[in-house]
Amino acid sequence: MSKFDLTVNGVRHAVEADDDTPLLWLLRDNLGLTGTKFGCGVGVCGACTVLEDGKALRACQIPASEVASRSFITIEGLSPDVSHPCQRAWLAEEVAQCGYCQAGMIMTACALLHDNPNPSDEQIDHVMSDSVCRCGTYPRMRKAIRRAAQEISSKKQ
Amino acid sequence: MITSRRDFLKTAAFGGAALLVGFDGSRLFGAGQSNAAGSFAPNNWIRIDGDGRVTLTIGKCEMGQGVRTSLAMILAEELGADWTRIKLMQARPSPGSDLGTGGSDSIMSSWKPLRQAGAAAREMLVAAAAARWNVDNTSCSASGGGVVHLPSKRRITYGFLVGDAAKLPVPENPTLKSASDFKIVGQRTNRIDGSDIVTGRARYGIDVKVPGMLYASLERPPFAGAKLKGMQEEKARAVSGVRSIIQLPRGIAIVADNTWAAIKGRQALAVQWTDPPKDAFDSDEHWKQLEAAARQTGFITREEKAPPGAAAVTKTFDAIYHYPFYAHAPVETMNCVADVRGNRCTIWAPTQAPERLQNQVAKLLGIPPTDVDVNITLIGGGFGRRLGVDYAVEAADISRAAKAPVQVLWSRADDMKCGHFQAASVHYLAAGFDSENKPVSWKHTKAGSFHNISPLDPKEVRDTAWYQDWSWGCYDVPYAFPTIQTAYVPVDLAVKHGPWRSVFAPSSVFARECFIDEVARTCNADPLAFRLEMLTGADVIKAGRTTIDRRRLRGVLETVRDKSNWGSPANHRYGRGVACNAYSGHTYIAYVVDLRLDHDNNVHVERVVAAVDCGRVINPIGVEQQMEGGIIWGISSALKGEITFRGGTAQQSTFADFAVARMRDTPAIEIHIVGADAERPFGMGEPPVPPMVPAIANGVFALTGRRIRTLPIRPEHLKEPA
Repeated sequence: MSKFDLTVNGVRHAVEADDDTPLLWLLRDNLGLTGTKFGCGVGVCGACTVLEDGKALRACQIPASEVASRSFITIEGLSPDVSHPCQRAWLAEEVAQCGYCQAGMIMTACALLHDNPNPSDEQIDHVMSDSVCRCGTYPRMRKAIRRAAQEISSKKQ
Repeated sequence: MITSRRDFLKTAAFGGAALLVGFDGSRLFGAGQSNAAGSFAPNNWIRIDGDGRVTLTIGKCEMGQGVRTSLAMILAEELGADWTRIKLMQARPSPGSDLGTGGSDSIMSSWKPLRQAGAAAREMLVAAAAARWNVDNTSCSASGGGVVHLPSKRRITYGFLVGDAAKLPVPENPTLKSASDFKIVGQRTNRIDGSDIVTGRARYGIDVKVPGMLYASLERPPFAGAKLKGMQEEKARAVSGVRSIIQLPRGIAIVADNTWAAIKGRQALAVQWTDPPKDAFDSDEHWKQLEAAARQTGFITREEKAPPGAAAVTKTFDAIYHYPFYAHAPVETMNCVADVRGNRCTIWAPTQAPERLQNQVAKLLGIPPTDVDVNITLIGGGFGRRLGVDYAVEAADISRAAKAPVQVLWSRADDMKCGHFQAASVHYLAAGFDSENKPVSWKHTKAGSFHNISPLDPKEVRDTAWYQDWSWGCYDVPYAFPTIQTAYVPVDLAVKHGPWRSVFAPSSVFARECFIDEVARTCNADPLAFRLEMLTGADVIKAGRTTIDRRRLRGVLETVRDKSNWGSPANHRYGRGVACNAYSGHTYIAYVVDLRLDHDNNVHVERVVAAVDCGRVINPIGVEQQMEGGIIWGISSALKGEITFRGGTAQQSTFADFAVARMRDTPAIEIHIVGADAERPFGMGEPPVPPMVPAIANGVFALTGRRIRTLPIRPEHLKEPA
């Protein structure tokens, strides 16, 4: 067991864990931030996606030994009041069904729009196809990402 | 009538500050009013508090079908409630309750009792207001969470009335609203719990934490009869956080302080099992059995004979259709928290079958079901998987042995390999034609397997209705052939199998809707026009317990024909397929699918034009979501992963080898809702699935001339020219 300092949603934490404990379980078991979900544990479903410097990362693939001094954003920290353009777009387009994969999907979409505020449909499909939704919310997700992109670009003007 | 056994209402008042109306659509409760909380325990109830809040305790499980929202809408409509002030609570199983959620039944079965309960509460509130104003009830009207005296325009909100209303008798026969007065039912309504989902606040089974909880991973025998050969117990114990290794008949549990330690401990344990025997279950061998069985006569599930003197069959042709094994693969793997203490047990589970769970856990522990408290969490994907309760029984077993509350979490591989699968089946179909090449006979034999997630009752009478229950989509063929024979041949299946989204319908509807296309082509007929032609004659037909309204099936077919410009495909590189289905005679759906092949012969569905008639629509958004979800589910089944078995074990273990549709596989989808002003609503969770796969297969035929009789469709099936 070692101690690791990391920042999550702007709050610094010192967690005690084995070196190889994935960030996913630090978030869920140590910090009680259960919004980030387990889906496969091998980085192929996207349910555990979190942000670091605007980039999407699979929390199940980052060992504790690599989290020291890093700062992550989870779904709980995306906005204090459901005001992030992706959250708003997700609600406006009524994307969620069971909702379980949606935190990962929203974080992935945030990273996509951070990287490319005006993605083409092909770019949206390409990036979002790394994640799995078994309910089949993809059509609404596409619309929500386009809506969020519009909101972001209209704010910038 | 509320006085009937099925629709009993009662009230109770807690300290005069709230009005409660309890109801249950399926069984009788003790009569009378009560002020004691303990004696007021219906499965469903409405509570209106002094501050005007309305709390609806619902008896259905939420797994993404939006049932919480749609049930709340029905209640709010009749109650005249303020939609923004409705709160929901999840009911728990209690003696006689039936909270099971499956079979696309929730809306259908809740529609009437919820309306009656809402209407009864509304009438009590109106009566209380009228008495207070000393005016006639009929001069008052309720809406938006308050009562208005129409002549004077005085208004009082429900919160001020609950004390008085609670003292009134429950009206035995409240007047339901006229559909023309609906203000909430039928409106596009956002999910009641949407913001919880986009903020990470929604709590699923996996998110449950209770004080002192330990975490367990269970290594299960890979096939029935596997024996422990060896394991590295010391290595597992050396993993920090591992508390204990517990051997149980159902497997070896690694119990730890956190999830990762349990996962790591299981890896370190490196359990070795005995090799499977030569005759261990193998899907290739099973296919041979199914194929042989499909040629047998089986149990006749429907027999219609042409009248004497009808045209004789002069030509027949037949085909065999194969439908594979599939996993449910919800993104939230199976999990459960159990806390066994002495002779009691508390469970927190994402479950579709709370009572089955309660009973099976009670049986394991040898205690009465009433001593098992079941807390139902949100479900991260149900699809029928969580009608099985194996994961909860495991959790109780491990908690009992560990003497602590324990969460069992399945790995993705556990979930893929140890689920109850959609069973494979083989379908034999034959059609007969008269001398003028008119189709006059239809034969469909399904060789498949009953569920084995809970033991079948050996005393149950295995009559025609019983066999029909195992072959939806087969015996209820809607087409007007003068001669029809459908049959079911049960084939033993050693691996676990059970309900999956749309239960038994997908395999039969795949075979039926592809073969009717073959029949149409044999007659040189357009497959959509041919279906319409074969849906003439009697408008309403009975097949077993199923009543099929051919007008509604024609309605959805005509809608997709017109909306898709059926005669002129969108693109000459596209193939276009059609299929339709009447799900249990309740919900009617038709699809027109446009698809193309890429250079590697992969099928890409580009566009789906869909029509759905599910009766009265509660929430159009919910209907659209289920249609989209069913279409994507169908694309997964038609084009993505299947489960195969070797040595008694499923060979797939991840989303890589059991692939499901991703966003890149998602077509443009156009949904047309028809018949939304019907009297009653029907279900939407399952019906969108079955006709999707055959619509794709028929589109592939239209494009390539190659008949798809085996799933999933693989590029190698399409390589050679037809």
